[in-house]
Amino acid sequence: MKEKKSKGRPFLEIFASSLQEDYRFPLLEFFAFLYALGTFVFANISVGFTGVGGLEESSVYGLVSSLMSLPLFIFMILIFKNIAYGLGSDLEKGTIQTIFSYPLKRYAILTAKLLSAIGAALLVLFGIQVFALLVLAPDMILPYMAVVLATYLASLSYPLLLASIILLVTLLIRKGGLAIVIGIVLFFAGSIFQSLAIFLAMVSRSPLLLQILSVVNPSIAMQYHYYNLSVFVGENLNGETIWAPTFTEVLVYIGAGYALVIAVLLLSYYFFSRRLNL
Amino acid sequence: MPSFLIEAKGLSKNYGKVIAVNRLDLRVAEGSVMGLIGPNGAGKTTTIKIVLGLLRPDGGEVEVFGQRPWDNPNIRTLIGVVHEKAYFPAHQKTLDYLQRVCRIFGVAEDRALEVLKLVNLKEASDRPIRALSAGMLQKFAIAHALVHKPQLVIADEMTANLDPQARSNLLDLVAELHKRENVTFLLSSHILPELSRVCDSVAIISLGKVLASGNLVELYDKFTARVLRISTDKPEVLAQAVKRLSYVQSVDADSRGITVKVAEGAEEKLYEDVPSLAKEIEAKILGIESGSASLEELYRLVVTKGGAG
Repeated sequence: MKEKKSKGRPFLEIFASSLQEDYRFPLLEFFAFLYALGTFVFANISVGFTGVGGLEESSVYGLVSSLMSLPLFIFMILIFKNIAYGLGSDLEKGTIQTIFSYPLKRYAILTAKLLSAIGAALLVLFGIQVFALLVLAPDMILPYMAVVLATYLASLSYPLLLASIILLVTLLIRKGGLAIVIGIVLFFAGSIFQSLAIFLAMVSRSPLLLQILSVVNPSIAMQYHYYNLSVFVGENLNGETIWAPTFTEVLVYIGAGYALVIAVLLLSYYFFSRRLNL
Repeated sequence: MPSFLIEAKGLSKNYGKVIAVNRLDLRVAEGSVMGLIGPNGAGKTTTIKIVLGLLRPDGGEVEVFGQRPWDNPNIRTLIGVVHEKAYFPAHQKTLDYLQRVCRIFGVAEDRALEVLKLVNLKEASDRPIRALSAGMLQKFAIAHALVHKPQLVIADEMTANLDPQARSNLLDLVAELHKRENVTFLLSSHILPELSRVCDSVAIISLGKVLASGNLVELYDKFTARVLRISTDKPEVLAQAVKRLSYVQSVDADSRGITVKVAEGAEEKLYEDVPSLAKEIEAKILGIESGSASLEELYRLVVTKGGAG
């Protein structure tokens, strides 16, 4: 008897099923969507404000990063919840066994789950953000697309690294509730550690900590690249420049950040595909 | 020469220091209904999980439809699975989810309602899966396993949580699918009378090993032909006397008699020796029977005597 190739569409259906399960709590989704929509309002105000100062790269960076910070935070909570609670519960309760009875390789199942947990959330966030920026400030955004893109990539790298770590932890411990607690602790511990590192860098006048930190979170390199252009920020108390990476260096840090994300994701994929015994 | 849909050779699986499956061999012939029976912790669920590609064995090999299950998800189009504990995406409606499963397997969506009717769950077609009772969820799991018309159904405690009527209906369904569509079943259960109703072969498993497996009729012949049941008014005393006979391998006494297992070819000798032994101890022999046993008795014989045959 020969195996038969499925004529169905398992990947799309598992993705659709995951979407239905991941986005069922209306409250968090509502706030996330509201914040994303709020971009329209903020973009209007910010464009008016920065327009006074001229259309410089730093203004574009300032606009994009400030527009994104709060919605990204909300969306990251949503993504952490989707991974830790969604996939974690599937593993904990055994729903994954049911999914493993469908004709789809394990890596494809994980991809469908991650597209729902991360991809769909980011698509909504960036879809609205980019649409808002293009509608409200096309003259400001279009000439600086590289800056806009780099800002988004830099801002997203660290949250994606955290999400990848949470994914790996979730797969290892298989407990949804515990994984989400670990994710939140990791998020806040990371924030505290970054603040401390920046403070130490300023006190010691050494860029080393900032450089190390930028590998994990390239938005710091981006921040110092642009803050160096302005008067106060990026300089220590004596007015000396601590660190002023070039745009190319920033791109290298972004690349390094994503390499880290990919490494952790590959570990998760390897574990899920080859080592996960149910 | 039967072809085997499942062939496992020398399977081993340990959980830390606990040996769950110990060099287990198992073959399920195409078109058979095989019962996988054994006490709790015998390794049934672990075996099923390895067969389904959910667990990697520490040793040995398993092939399902000639393929290694872990690496070949396409064989799942041929397999229906009922897990011991069924979990599905809780917030989706039963019919909607089964229709989704139809699309996954590329079968017509009408089949979803068809299988819900088959397990008497049509009235719950509009309910979210989380709102189903334990029994209904079990029925839903069975519908889910059958929705893509599999050639092989692997079920771990399929009748758990079902009421007697539903159990009976389900066993009828198994028999019907087997007869009408030649569906092969591997059924793990603790409820032996149920298995004896539908199974034509069994694998008796204990401490991670298959102690005996094969066609049920042949197993009865093999294990019960040398087992004789002697009804007496003094079971304990007769048991002690019978134990002294050199060809007797084991004796179990209960309130109404003794069950004796003898060495191969010694059945006639026991028939000859028992009356004189009974006379010695002044016991009445009320009857001697041989050869017939229920699946429960077969199971008990094999497990308690280690399947020595």
